[in-house]
Amino acid sequence: MTVTRLRSGGGVQAPPPLRPRRRGIGWGQRLEIAALSGPAILVFVSFVIFPVLMAAYYGFYKWKGYGVPTNFVGLDNYKTILQDTAFHEALWHNAEILVLSLVLQGPVAIALALLLNRRMRGQSVIRVLIFVPYVISEVITGTAWALILQTNGAGNDILESIGLGGLTADWLADPKLAIWSLMFILTWKYVGFAVILFLAGMQNIPDELSEAAAVDGASFWQIQRHITLPLLGPTIRIWAFLSIIGSLQLFDLVYIIWGQYVASTAGTSTMATYMVVEGRNAANYGYGNAVAVVLFIISMVIALIYQRFVLRRDTEGALTGGS
Amino acid sequence: MAPRRFLAITAALTLSTAGLAACSGGDDDSGDSSSGGNVTMTLWHNSTTGPGKAFWDKAVADFKTVNPNVTIKIQSIQNEDLDGKLQTSLNSGSAPDIFLQRGGGKMAAMVEAGQLKDITDLVTPETKAAVGDAALGTGQLDGKTYAVPVSILPGGFWYSKDIFKKAGITATPTTMEELAAAAAKLKANGTPIALGAKDAWPAAHWYYFYALRACSKDSLDAAAKDKNFTDPCWTKAGNDLKAFADTQPFNNGFLTTSAQQGAGSSAGLVANGKAGMELMGSWDPGVIAGLTKDKKPLPDLGFFPFPAVSGGQGDPAAIMGGADGFSCSEKAPKECADFLNYILTKPLQEAYYKAFNSLPVSKEAQGAVTEDYLKAVLDAYNKAPYVSQWLDTIYGQNVGNALNVGVVNLLAGKGDVAGIIKATNDAAKKG
Repeated sequence: MTVTRLRSGGGVQAPPPLRPRRRGIGWGQRLEIAALSGPAILVFVSFVIFPVLMAAYYGFYKWKGYGVPTNFVGLDNYKTILQDTAFHEALWHNAEILVLSLVLQGPVAIALALLLNRRMRGQSVIRVLIFVPYVISEVITGTAWALILQTNGAGNDILESIGLGGLTADWLADPKLAIWSLMFILTWKYVGFAVILFLAGMQNIPDELSEAAAVDGASFWQIQRHITLPLLGPTIRIWAFLSIIGSLQLFDLVYIIWGQYVASTAGTSTMATYMVVEGRNAANYGYGNAVAVVLFIISMVIALIYQRFVLRRDTEGALTGGS
Repeated sequence: MAPRRFLAITAALTLSTAGLAACSGGDDDSGDSSSGGNVTMTLWHNSTTGPGKAFWDKAVADFKTVNPNVTIKIQSIQNEDLDGKLQTSLNSGSAPDIFLQRGGGKMAAMVEAGQLKDITDLVTPETKAAVGDAALGTGQLDGKTYAVPVSILPGGFWYSKDIFKKAGITATPTTMEELAAAAAKLKANGTPIALGAKDAWPAAHWYYFYALRACSKDSLDAAAKDKNFTDPCWTKAGNDLKAFADTQPFNNGFLTTSAQQGAGSSAGLVANGKAGMELMGSWDPGVIAGLTKDKKPLPDLGFFPFPAVSGGQGDPAAIMGGADGFSCSEKAPKECADFLNYILTKPLQEAYYKAFNSLPVSKEAQGAVTEDYLKAVLDAYNKAPYVSQWLDTIYGQNVGNALNVGVVNLLAGKGDVAGIIKATNDAAKKG
């Protein structure tokens, strides 16, 4: 990820002779670039850029989804969104999920990665076990956990049968518990992804560093604290970025486990489920598109701020054009 | 991380947020294809398997025998996919000529967008006589006909006669007090009332029925016009529901129980003897039959209408229900209406009832109904002074959605009756 720029000069060699400046690329090359990237750009524009612009356009209308929108209402939809307590709640849930995802998944994933980063027996089995939930589709995950955590589901049955009947609860419907059930499922599902990322990051840390530290008498934990973790920084920051974006857009698991309406009651609704409930289910397509725009702007702003202030060190070389 | 990567991530993000924007293409070339020559039409319905599919295949083939110049191509679409596909095809100007119409707010939006054919003058007097004004009204808007109903689906309680006996309930409840007593007995028997509140609308149906009893027909109609729910009867309906729900008559975990999916759903609980009854529309026998252990209809299934509630303005015998209908798209040839008249003839309606196990709309065909529980439904339906459609159908998805959320919150103990009324009034702002 990091791009180190070679400084010229400062050595014993004479500076290399100046080469003539490169001209712009020739037409032949331009054609080639256009021919090769054209189809991809076309697909990207028609399926990403165009729908975004259409969403912005529909957001200014009250529209039932049939025919051409005619009832232009300007910023009314946006005013309604910003005043709607259900949206405030959804936004708050997103924030909760965002923070809890980082706080819960980060430490767990780092610990697991540190453990798995050594040669040990059964290493590959453990890796697979941790990574499997990430591979299973969200729909199946949601359906399975919904069945397990139902009041009359397997979860409570198991608690009953091992004599912990006092611990049975309404895991999904109780507003005090629902968000934690969701976080448990999210952690179970996505921690594998973080572990794989961190393991890959650890592979990039040269062994010489820890060997040198070991020679100097550093303990295993000191090596992890002062060498591995700091050098894993860029990977952790990238993972956090992906996790934040994922938390802001969380939709599928919530929608499948809590259905269309119970999410707001259980305290697990997100901006995306709000968008679908208020847009598609209520057939207020104009309003729904306005919610999409708001969600887009919020995600964009957070992503840009994160880029600017957190990822800056990691991407400095790349952003200034590199060499 | 290169800017390109960042772009890709932001792009992925926009992809998912922009998912709501559908393509809209409103080309309105209203060219009635001249009849007399050969006509080809498409028909979209929602029966993908079994006798339902066979019914449509046969109906279309028989129609061609009588009208050799008319060819109808059938497309059967999964019920859940139908609405979305229909919306897309209507907007892109490639709509099917004949399609299933759910009525209410959806139909109003299609009419407003000029996507439905006005078939007022094309419905034959024979059809009008067989169907009757009340049922025809479900497909009318501002005095014009845009759809004809093929089946009526009134709502009420579906119960297991065996479980009622076991719980010591001797007669089906006719008043709220009797219903509460029956609910208590069912609960003591370990077979409570099933409710699939995860899907929200089954919970909202409880509120609708209380509103049907609390509000006079005039207040129901007035609310449909101005979407104003300030009449005290709406609050009374909420209070009645809350009083009943406070006795905890429903199955455990009803908030995360779905209505129709699998053995753990509310219909599944009734099918497998884990619940004594549920409040549902008359498609329920079919759903329950699909969820019993042997996939056969529940032999001891019975029906009784929603009991009378004291102190309301509504008629205690009034019924609420829906009607499945069919519409012609705006560009359809007039033969489309011929086909609609054809499927409302007596033999077709009798075949419809046999195929779908659902009440035919034609009075001529209703004599063919044999099942006890369907007879009980018909009896209640024909005794009713007036029939209201499902409130979320009448008031549109917008208000219906708000009602759904409000009722779920009330049952979950998160919201109150005032919250339902407020949410409903607020919903009008978003539509």
